[in-house]
Amino acid sequence: MFDVSRVQKELTECNRDKAISGVSIALYEGGSDLSHLRGTITGPVSTPYEGGTFLIDIQLPSGYPFEPPKMQFITKVWHPNISSQNGAICLDILKDQWSPALTLKTALVSLQALLSAPEPDDPQDAVVAKQYLQEYPTFVATARYWTEAFARTSVAIEEKVRRLVEMGFPEDLVKSTLDSVNGDENLALEKLCSS
Amino acid sequence: MAEYEDCPSSSDVEEGDCYLSDQEDAIEESVLQGLEDRREEESHWSLSSVITKESLLAAQKEDLRKVMELFALKEQHARTLLIHYRWDVERIFELLDQKGRERLFSEAGVSNVENKILSTSPTPVMCTVCFENVIENAVTEMDCGHSFCNECWTEHFIVKINDGQSRRIRCMAPKCNAVCDEEVIRNLVSAKYPDVADRFDRFLLESYIEDNNKVKWCPSVPHCGNAIRIEGDIYCEVECTCGIQFCFNCSSEAHSPCSCLMWELWTKKCQDESETVNWITVNTKPCPKCHKPVEKNGGCNLVACICGQAFCWLCGGATGRDHTWSSISGHSCGRFKEDQAKRTERARRDLYRYMHYHNRYKAHTDSLKQESNLKETIQGKISISENKESKIKDYTWVINGLSRLFRSRRVLSYSYPFAYYMFGDELFKDEMTPQERELKQNLFEDQQQQLESNVEKLSMFLETDFQFFSDDEVMDIMRHVINLSNVVDRLCKQMYQCIENDLLYPLQRATHNIAPYKSKGLEKASELSVCWDSDQSLTSMKTSLDDHYVQWDPTQNRIGSTSHKRHCEHQLHGSSSSDDSGCSSRKRARTSSHSGASFFDLNMPAEVIDKI
Repeated sequence: MFDVSRVQKELTECNRDKAISGVSIALYEGGSDLSHLRGTITGPVSTPYEGGTFLIDIQLPSGYPFEPPKMQFITKVWHPNISSQNGAICLDILKDQWSPALTLKTALVSLQALLSAPEPDDPQDAVVAKQYLQEYPTFVATARYWTEAFARTSVAIEEKVRRLVEMGFPEDLVKSTLDSVNGDENLALEKLCSS
Repeated sequence: MAEYEDCPSSSDVEEGDCYLSDQEDAIEESVLQGLEDRREEESHWSLSSVITKESLLAAQKEDLRKVMELFALKEQHARTLLIHYRWDVERIFELLDQKGRERLFSEAGVSNVENKILSTSPTPVMCTVCFENVIENAVTEMDCGHSFCNECWTEHFIVKINDGQSRRIRCMAPKCNAVCDEEVIRNLVSAKYPDVADRFDRFLLESYIEDNNKVKWCPSVPHCGNAIRIEGDIYCEVECTCGIQFCFNCSSEAHSPCSCLMWELWTKKCQDESETVNWITVNTKPCPKCHKPVEKNGGCNLVACICGQAFCWLCGGATGRDHTWSSISGHSCGRFKEDQAKRTERARRDLYRYMHYHNRYKAHTDSLKQESNLKETIQGKISISENKESKIKDYTWVINGLSRLFRSRRVLSYSYPFAYYMFGDELFKDEMTPQERELKQNLFEDQQQQLESNVEKLSMFLETDFQFFSDDEVMDIMRHVINLSNVVDRLCKQMYQCIENDLLYPLQRATHNIAPYKSKGLEKASELSVCWDSDQSLTSMKTSLDDHYVQWDPTQNRIGSTSHKRHCEHQLHGSSSSDDSGCSSRKRARTSSHSGASFFDLNMPAEVIDKI
């Protein structure tokens, strides 16, 4: 079993300055399992990801922190080192360059840095990487569009909950439905109406 | 080709079907020549040695010692350095000149031990891995200067050892390239998990085999536990003490004069019989009903499968059974297709070509198998002969002739796959013009045929029931056998030379290397000889391995004192001269490199063993 006390300390430590760092970690879907977490990072300014909030699924292996955490984007993102299909990340510190002295926070901050500085020569998503190298303006436009379409929803999640509750749905149901469709308001509404 | 003149008998073989048997002088000359060759070969010593489980430690120690002496390093640092540079001591010496000590060390992950500052803070410190405050004596600082608590270190080591990364466990600090001190690892891990520590030691020990270009595991199945170390060229064939013979470069069976690539392609081809499959796809069509391949045996294009279904040979579509000269009932399709005919023709030619070479390769391999039984029969014949009233008491010539027969059969059988690739399109399509190819093929095949006919003759004489013959007849057979053995040996040698110098060497695009011809058969790897006296030093080395913090001190802990020193000096200084032993660059024209141990026995003088 992994080091529970370290993870608890990490969570407290990380969330203490989340306003400044733009990085926070919570238990996944409000559960109680310390090995399944959800990280949040804000898109770095003056990048196509600015204004977006990106959710990251974090699974801690039993050997954590001596084995690297498993991280994957939940929010869809258009980036050469992140799979546009499933959110898999290509980052060295999550693989062979992981060090036990690194933390979840430092890993998330590295992901933020990766958003600012893609490495198209070591791509996870070949299509995106090709576009980044050959048609940079198209890449920027697509990345920005994806940020608008998928990463902004989670910012105003309270706003959406409020609107849907006003329509007469119970708050708990609204929250879980929004969660299940990754915060897409229209999909959630459809689902709520059909249920 | 010019060397043919040197060989009095081979030129005669071309003319008649018998070599010189009536010219005593010539026989004696060739026998003398043979003796000279042997003497020449004996001046080379075995270049390969067997490393057993027991001698692995000693083998490593030799290299470790050289590096420890040169850099005045502790053993664990020398090992880290050697693992990084794949146990190539000469390369480390070279790189020391090029890179300098500091870069050489830092690239390998060896910390600069001299700059180590001992921290002496008595206050509790926080371990940045578990975020706990720990008292100072529960913290270990690595040579790189990073310290963490012992519990975290231990966990880290165990994860890495279980991950199979024992040979390069890095420090836990981010971006720190330093490799952890193996003694610290051993100490911490064995305190908690002694079995993991044992495994760690075994991994380190085996690194000498697995991270080393000059050492390979013997490929025997079930595994004999040995590894073979060679000096010099990796393109060679060796025999392990377990009896298995293999090509050192590719670890498959000894296959010269085929190159490793040719042999790989050939075995694959023989296994999947891809030519047969080719032929079937081109010459048959699947029945549209039962899907069995159907071959057309003449007649019109209406074909009937044995299952009763009729179909059109041209398009493969099912049809009715009625037909006229111009049409098939219920069916009509295109005309004769020319490219189809060409493909059929090609596939048939390729298959015939392959069959030609394969049949001959197989015939010689089968002969070799049958002749292996000959050894016992001949032993029987010899003991009968030795017991009868006769002037002839010495029958070593039979045994020698037999080993010559085995050796040349092997060469002959592998020469067929060689020829298949050498003169085929698969590997060297654009290397030669058709004229060049024809010329070279003729040259090679002349030699091959000469060898073949002499090998068959040798086989014939060896199979005679000489035990019942009169002394004169036996003398006659002896002369034949001795002479033929020499002829065959010479022809083998010439064929290898022809392959290396005239066929493989001029290749522009590809490099194919073959193991050199060894007149006396494959080199038997000798037991690794440890130069200083074994028992005592081995145990003392083992204890020093167990005794974790003993630092090796060149002035006090010298094992086997003088003899060892002499040995090390020899190796340090002798490193440059090791090239003389006949093996150097990858692509070369070899004229006469046949260094080898004797076929049946490997008796080397003690001073030669000392030098290995």
